[in-house]
Amino acid sequence: MWTVFKLQWQRLFKKPLLVLFFLGLTVLFVYFMGGSQGNQQITVRTFSQELSSEELDEWLAKLNEDDTFIFEESDYDTVYERIRMNKTAFALELNEDDYRFLVGRENIEMSPIIQHVDQIFTREKRLSAIAQNDGADPVEVETFITLNTEAGNEEAATNQAYPIMLLVGMTFFFSIFSILLLMINLVEEKKTGTWNRLIFSPLSKTTIYLGQLLHYFLVGLFQIGLAFVILDALLGISLGNNYMAMLVVTVSFVFAIVSLGLLIIGLVSSPQQLQVVIPIVATSMAMLGGAFWPLEVVSNRILLFLAELMPIKHGIQGMMGAVIQNRGVTELLEPVSALLLMGVLFMGIGLNLMERVSEKRSI
Amino acid sequence: MLETKALTKKFKSYEAVSNVSLYLEEGESVGLLGPNGAGKSTTISMMSTLLPPTSGEVRYNGVDALNKPQELRRVLGVVPQEIALYEELTAYENMKFFGRIYGLKGQKLEQRIKEVLELIGLTERSKDRVETYSGGMKRRINIGVTLLHEPRVLIMDEPTVGIDPQSRNYILEMIRRLNREKDMTILYTSHYMEEVEKLCDRIYIMDHGEIIASGTNQELKNILANDETIRIDVETLSKDFADRLSSHDVVQKVTQEGTGYKVIATKGDDLLGDVFELAKRSHTKITSVVVQTPTLEDVFLHLTGRTLRD
Repeated sequence: MWTVFKLQWQRLFKKPLLVLFFLGLTVLFVYFMGGSQGNQQITVRTFSQELSSEELDEWLAKLNEDDTFIFEESDYDTVYERIRMNKTAFALELNEDDYRFLVGRENIEMSPIIQHVDQIFTREKRLSAIAQNDGADPVEVETFITLNTEAGNEEAATNQAYPIMLLVGMTFFFSIFSILLLMINLVEEKKTGTWNRLIFSPLSKTTIYLGQLLHYFLVGLFQIGLAFVILDALLGISLGNNYMAMLVVTVSFVFAIVSLGLLIIGLVSSPQQLQVVIPIVATSMAMLGGAFWPLEVVSNRILLFLAELMPIKHGIQGMMGAVIQNRGVTELLEPVSALLLMGVLFMGIGLNLMERVSEKRSI
Repeated sequence: MLETKALTKKFKSYEAVSNVSLYLEEGESVGLLGPNGAGKSTTISMMSTLLPPTSGEVRYNGVDALNKPQELRRVLGVVPQEIALYEELTAYENMKFFGRIYGLKGQKLEQRIKEVLELIGLTERSKDRVETYSGGMKRRINIGVTLLHEPRVLIMDEPTVGIDPQSRNYILEMIRRLNREKDMTILYTSHYMEEVEKLCDRIYIMDHGEIIASGTNQELKNILANDETIRIDVETLSKDFADRLSSHDVVQKVTQEGTGYKVIATKGDDLLGDVFELAKRSHTKITSVVVQTPTLEDVFLHLTGRTLRD
């Protein structure tokens, strides 16, 4: 097994461009997308038709306590016109007892903003209620939000979540590319006949497969690990120190992707066709699985069902659980089990299909 | 030493190989001759335990090689038709890898690599990437990596396809030396009958998945002992002339070849006089006539009605 394993590394070192290219792309994409998104302050145009200018200023000061978002004073006509002209996605209207969002189009940034406004409003109303009751009775505080947009989940609500989700999503997405494109080597080996040379040898088939698959697995793992380290150093987006949970999720994810590669190779046996199929599969998987945008903005049931079938969805979910919620391995059993199950299934079917293809090719 | 019994391979309804029984004695050089698609590669894939047969047996020294392939694999070398090498690696690196998978290591491996590189004449270029080699050099290294573990049985699947005559001669001479000096048992498949004629002690002719004839070179040619081959070159090809030749009583087959016709006819009759007469009647001008002894190509034509390159 080690002879086959070492050979694959030797070949990779002779032609390392593919892996380096996708590693570079990961860093670039996250740097330009995540980096800018993560550090940029989001401006929210805010107006009121009920509050006085002083009251509005007071609320703006409270909303701007946290410098994550900038709540900027505006007026109804300006806001209405900007939304109509699609220059602004949404704006905040403050009233005496509640607030509402004017929404021109759905925007990923809304979830954390809604959460932020809700927190401030709840806090202020509670304080005001306590003041009125002189602290005697517990106060019931109603939620003031009057919006037809669903609120984001706990993770998305934090300012940290989006760049991390993007980092994880992009890293996983590009690692899928690297692993699957590298696995075309396996098809090439079958095509050029080197695979048959291995079969003619005293090596067992299991040994040959293990040597090959372990290589692809470690390349994927290495790429993801290196991307995380580089991005941490470059963007300062730290994934924290929940290493064991992150490792378990990443290992399960890479295992599922290597197995998926086997399945794809079993179904599509020509390297040329694979070069077309892999980008389609990887990109659609990433889109459906929530690597490009949070699944919270998706409401279509079919798309949400399809997302469940994508390893990247469970990979991201697991990583977010490990990084944002600091969950331990036992608390991440759901995404990890889903990934392992997919891995076992894909590998079983893939190996079976590949063996059939090998037999056909021997005619 | 190595034999097959009633080897059959079906792919759904298509029977690629049908009831093939053949044997190789130790130190023998055996040819498997047949046109493309005859089932040669499928047969050797089954003989080398790469492909399980639908039915039949493969035995090495009396042991069932299909159920116990390890013993055969240890002494078997297979040279595939394609260049089965890692072209981004050097010849030396390829040899080191293929030597290792047969359990060679250390000094022994280095020694074998050196010997084989000398045998195939690539010592000077051993540190160059295979992708920079010419077609002939690739063919030689393709054979070389198979020889590292000193196989007792060497199966070669059309090892000279697509190379220049000089490289072909080099390879044929190398195979002859392996057979004679190293006493290596060789099964050589080809659709080049002249290669098989030169190299092999015995020949099997395959067509449509079946063995249609076998024997030594001379035994096979004796199939046509009562026949003769006449090569007729003409100024302009004429269908009328070909038809008239075909309908002659003693003529068995007429095939067009280049600027003339090849005629297989029963020996003893005075066909030549009739040939000129038929040419005159069909207004065809004969430029040359050569009477030849039958070749394996003629035997194949006689048996199948097709040429080896059809």
